[in-house]
Amino acid sequence: MILVQNLLVLTIVAGIAWVAYAASRDRYWRESAREMWRRRPVALVVVAIYLVIGLLDSVAWVGGTVAEDPTAAYLPRSVIDRIFKPEALKEASYSAPLADKAFYGSDALKHPGKHWLGTDILGRDVLYRTFKGVRVALLVGGLTSLVAIPLALLFGVSAGYFGKRVDDAVFFTMTVLSSVPSLLLLIALIMVLGKGAVQVCIALGVTGWVHFCRISRGEALKLREMDYVASARVLGVSDGKIIVRHILPNMAHLVIITFALSFTGMVLTETTLSYLGIGLDGSWGQMIDQARNELSRTPIIWWNIAAAATALFALVLAVNLIADGLRDVIDPRTRRERT
Amino acid sequence: MLIRISRIAALFLALAWAGCTNDPYPDADKGRKVLYTSFSEVPKTLDPAVSYTTSEHVITGNVYDTLLEYHYLERPYKLIAGLAEAVPEPEALPDGGQRYRFRIRPGVRFHDDICFGARSPGQRSREVTAQDFAFQFARLADPAINSPVASSFVQVKGFQAFAKRLADLRKADPAFVKQAAHVQYAKAGGIEGVVAASDRDLEIVLTEANAQILYWFAMPFTTPIAWEAVAYYDGREGRPNFADHVVGTGPFRLAVYDKQLRYVLAKNPTWYGLRDEAASAPGVAFPSNIDPADVAAKRIDPAYAGRRMPFLDRVNFARERENIPRFNKFLQGYYDDGGIIKESFDAIVQGDRLSPDMAKRGMRLDREVEPSIFYIGFNMNDPVLGSKGGERSRKLRQAMSLVVDTETFLQLFLNGRGVPAQSPLPPGLFGYDANYRNPFRQPDQAKAKRLLAEAGYANGIDPATQAPLKLTFDMGNTSAQSLLESEFLVGAWRGLGLNVEIAATTYNQFQDKVRRGAYQIFRWGWNADFPDPENFLFLLECSNAQANSNGPNTANFCNDGFDQRYRAMKDMPNNETRLRLVKEMLAITEAERPWIELFHVEDFTLSHAWLINSKPMGLSYPAFKYKDVDPGMRERLIAQWNEPVRWPLALLVIGVIALAVPAVRTYYRERT
Amino acid sequence: MAAYLVRRISYGAVTVLGVLFLLFVLFFAVTNPDDIARKAVGERARPEVYVQWKKNHGYDKPLFLNREYAASNAKRYTDTLLFEHYRSMLTFDFGRSDADDTPIADRLLKGAGPSLSLTVPLFILDVVVAVAVGLFVAFFRETLIDRTVLVLCIFTMSVATLLYIIAGQYLIGMLLKWFPISGYSGDSSVIWRFLALPVIVGVISGFGSDVRLYRTIFIEEMGRDYVRTARAKGAGDARVMVAHVLRNALIPIITNVVIAIPFLFTGSLLLESFFGIPGLGAMTVEAIQGNDFATLRTMVYLGALLFILGQILTDVSYAIADPRVRLS
Repeated sequence: MILVQNLLVLTIVAGIAWVAYAASRDRYWRESAREMWRRRPVALVVVAIYLVIGLLDSVAWVGGTVAEDPTAAYLPRSVIDRIFKPEALKEASYSAPLADKAFYGSDALKHPGKHWLGTDILGRDVLYRTFKGVRVALLVGGLTSLVAIPLALLFGVSAGYFGKRVDDAVFFTMTVLSSVPSLLLLIALIMVLGKGAVQVCIALGVTGWVHFCRISRGEALKLREMDYVASARVLGVSDGKIIVRHILPNMAHLVIITFALSFTGMVLTETTLSYLGIGLDGSWGQMIDQARNELSRTPIIWWNIAAAATALFALVLAVNLIADGLRDVIDPRTRRERT
Repeated sequence: MLIRISRIAALFLALAWAGCTNDPYPDADKGRKVLYTSFSEVPKTLDPAVSYTTSEHVITGNVYDTLLEYHYLERPYKLIAGLAEAVPEPEALPDGGQRYRFRIRPGVRFHDDICFGARSPGQRSREVTAQDFAFQFARLADPAINSPVASSFVQVKGFQAFAKRLADLRKADPAFVKQAAHVQYAKAGGIEGVVAASDRDLEIVLTEANAQILYWFAMPFTTPIAWEAVAYYDGREGRPNFADHVVGTGPFRLAVYDKQLRYVLAKNPTWYGLRDEAASAPGVAFPSNIDPADVAAKRIDPAYAGRRMPFLDRVNFARERENIPRFNKFLQGYYDDGGIIKESFDAIVQGDRLSPDMAKRGMRLDREVEPSIFYIGFNMNDPVLGSKGGERSRKLRQAMSLVVDTETFLQLFLNGRGVPAQSPLPPGLFGYDANYRNPFRQPDQAKAKRLLAEAGYANGIDPATQAPLKLTFDMGNTSAQSLLESEFLVGAWRGLGLNVEIAATTYNQFQDKVRRGAYQIFRWGWNADFPDPENFLFLLECSNAQANSNGPNTANFCNDGFDQRYRAMKDMPNNETRLRLVKEMLAITEAERPWIELFHVEDFTLSHAWLINSKPMGLSYPAFKYKDVDPGMRERLIAQWNEPVRWPLALLVIGVIALAVPAVRTYYRERT
Repeated sequence: MAAYLVRRISYGAVTVLGVLFLLFVLFFAVTNPDDIARKAVGERARPEVYVQWKKNHGYDKPLFLNREYAASNAKRYTDTLLFEHYRSMLTFDFGRSDADDTPIADRLLKGAGPSLSLTVPLFILDVVVAVAVGLFVAFFRETLIDRTVLVLCIFTMSVATLLYIIAGQYLIGMLLKWFPISGYSGDSSVIWRFLALPVIVGVISGFGSDVRLYRTIFIEEMGRDYVRTARAKGAGDARVMVAHVLRNALIPIITNVVIAIPFLFTGSLLLESFFGIPGLGAMTVEAIQGNDFATLRTMVYLGALLFILGQILTDVSYAIADPRVRLS
């Protein structure tokens, strides 16, 4: 199980590395990347930091002893867990950022000044919890998109390219799915499938899939009529080859931009689901929901909700800014205008 | 352009300046005797045979009168006469049974309602007779009504036989079901032990002595019901269901019932208490024997002694789904009473009394321990935790019980508003011993570790897997808050080395697990129907087990010694023998640990200075007929507390102008 | 034209049937009606009540085909969950709520008013503000103002709606005491006090993406020849922007707006439930929390139906405006 989990992470990392390598050999992508770096350096760095944290939290193994929590020694713990040692870092209850005594009463903390973002009601370190939320957010936004987009591409492109029956079937499915208000469909799916990380991701995938399928179908329809595709067909190149050689590469910019937008959309939607009690455990949405009432405490407890809200905001903002930049850099239409 | 913007801004500012107010009520209601309060949970049904939750009893308890009532001021609770002329004494019958005779007060009338005109045009109401009580008893027995308390009346002679006759008749003849309820009941022959001896005499015959039965006559379950109302309000042709429409006899009518949003109780002009001949009835005038302590606490105004009730014109209930807005509106003065949210507790209550700020506002604080218990239960059918595991499992349960620190739990999640529970019985009940300390409920990590080792799980390691023993804490509630609470509880067990996982599922998934018996540890609560230990101990009796009968004994606890004593003490009057039996039963739960008793909730209620005569009644139903408000004081204080902060508006306008200036400048620069 | 209309409407009808099948799979084939019944009648209910409840709510029927009755009466083959589901939804006979037995149609009628009283002002204000700001930044495109507003838009888009609501209630309701924190009243003299705060929050949370959208539309329009012609003729800037650009951009704007209109009826889930407005959105949230599948599937169905209707309307109005569409 542990091996499988780590293997999955490694596969994803290897996959991303391979794509990056492949792209770097192409002049167009290399230049685009350079242009992106010039335009949005901060956003790229922020996303990279999130990725590293998420990665460190994904690699987990059993081993080592933990004095404070005997069970923890038997469970897989990630690099982040091992750095923070949450079992040892616990306090009795709330404490303010960098405080040396408890928020209520004046008991001294076990780790004065060590909690950069304070502790929550159960005395857990807020910085640690915020870091744990990174992986959940990447899972919700990234993994779901990574599954939904290839599916959408497969159906969208084949519908657009082959037309006729295939197109009718795909188009009908799309119309039906997109007719249902997406938040309601999402909720209905989770209500029916049950609460849990896998279920939420499946539901998000099912609802997020449609939008991109529509776009890629439209694009494939257009590309099919292009001269070079027509001539390839005349030369007897097989359909599969045409799709891989000519259609898909010309849709790469669409894929990337849609990925970024669907990523932020899913992360933001998860907060709504958390409010409804059907989000993912450990997500920022859940942290916000648990902490939203703390604003009414007197004196006010703000660090919990502030930490989760800021982490969420920074990630979504960075990805949004990157998506915005990408639109300028790699979208052929706007690029034409630029040059 | 700049001038135009600033002109619009000025207009907007002027409008907002004058119009900003957070007053949620129409101005027309100012100065009237209206009590404003809130509710969060929507009532499912107002049918008094079925309604069972506090949110429903708040209405039914005030619109339906009962034969007996609880005294508003005296504690411990005491029964007084309501619709009955006196509290009856039991008469022993030769066959070992008992009889209670109620004499019904004259001149009790149902609320004016069109249902009475359905058969005899022009009639708007009628007098209550003993038949109306008998009709309601038949409804309690009716299996189709599914009264949650039907089992409490099985000692009424012929109660179950009537239910069976009714069911048989329905099964035999489909046409029978289509008839009106009162016709069906008449054909089934009525309940033998509920006798309407005359229009004003009701006799209840029991098959065996039962000292607790009288409590049920102080609850809306046994209110008189008009068959006309049940027949008319059938949910067809645009008529509401009987569950959504009240035809009672009480001091208030249900004037508005928009149940998702608000409801309004209005004074009932035909209430029997307003008639001269009822002047001496105990439930009609404000009690005169007022406790000086209540006066000193400004809870009760002694000037009201002996005055005829009710005092209020209306009671306004507004829906508040979220606690925090509700509480803030209370603080702003828009609700007259309310509980304290935990977030503000420290600002409101300091050292068991109101903070100086709040006291200055004239607020009052009332505290009362509710007759309730919250607990963690083990599924006793589980092979690891349950009774099949014998001594090993018992020691495991004992060890787990030893590390749950209720004191800290209460501090963290309820601001300490609760009494740590030592046994299933809450304070104030027969058999409760304030000095008793349950040896397994005093946090003791070392002892817990020892017991765990004796159970064969040294340091929590399961010898079978050589890993920490894996258990599941099941919850059918996915809210963020309950997850936090569960994490606290589970943390204590993890400290022992047990790997307890939280399975927070949707309600459906949880129910499915319960049905399959696939659950190990759960959390639950219980609120008393009436102040008797039986009402708590039945939760652990075998025939009520979830696995046997879908009963409320979710722990599936089955213990012969416990059950024998339960059957013996169940209907006994409170005496030495009963006390001994209860103590013995508590000793069994102490050692067996089907539950880890957590706490009994202590209710803190705040009320504003203008709310008069409000005394908390944890058990009975808010008796609005005793309460009054001072609308003049309310209006004055609200105005004082709610002056809007207006300067940010001005700031906003300046901000807009500041944005406009560079725009205009850019514009002119580009043009020239 | 008539042929196009028929084709478009019949495609819409088929889509509705498809949506209903999706709902059937979700709510009947995958969900266990026993769980719904258990929650509705309470854990302590006797078995006969439980069986009766399932019968009253029609959950006791077989899924696809009713073979039991085949011998006696062929018509009863269709006495199944599938057919009953299609029949009740297509005839708008929604039955009773699983949670509290009230007729769903009654609650829909009652909830539509509060929902519309929130969504209509919110929608109008949102469109007006977004179009105005969009026009404004389009005019100042590629200047500091334009860039500032665009970055601001991305900022506002990156904040979860939940946070806007929490912040709005805290700042405006609690600290400044301008409006009630939450609540609703049917009384027309006070209703605006309750709606002010949710409308403000709603406009702010939707502002970013709308402004960006309208800006793009306007800039595209401003590049066209007629704008240059108008300018050359000496028309003032304000006149060019409002009389020419805004007028010609109306078509894409209206398409965007029309699509959103059906959703005004279904209300807003978060705003309504946080601000205590008893509309259809709050009703949906309540149905989710109360395990009320009958209400939930009605809401999903109505949402889809309204969306399909909106699309047909848009397509037809397009076809009227542009004859080429009809042929394809």
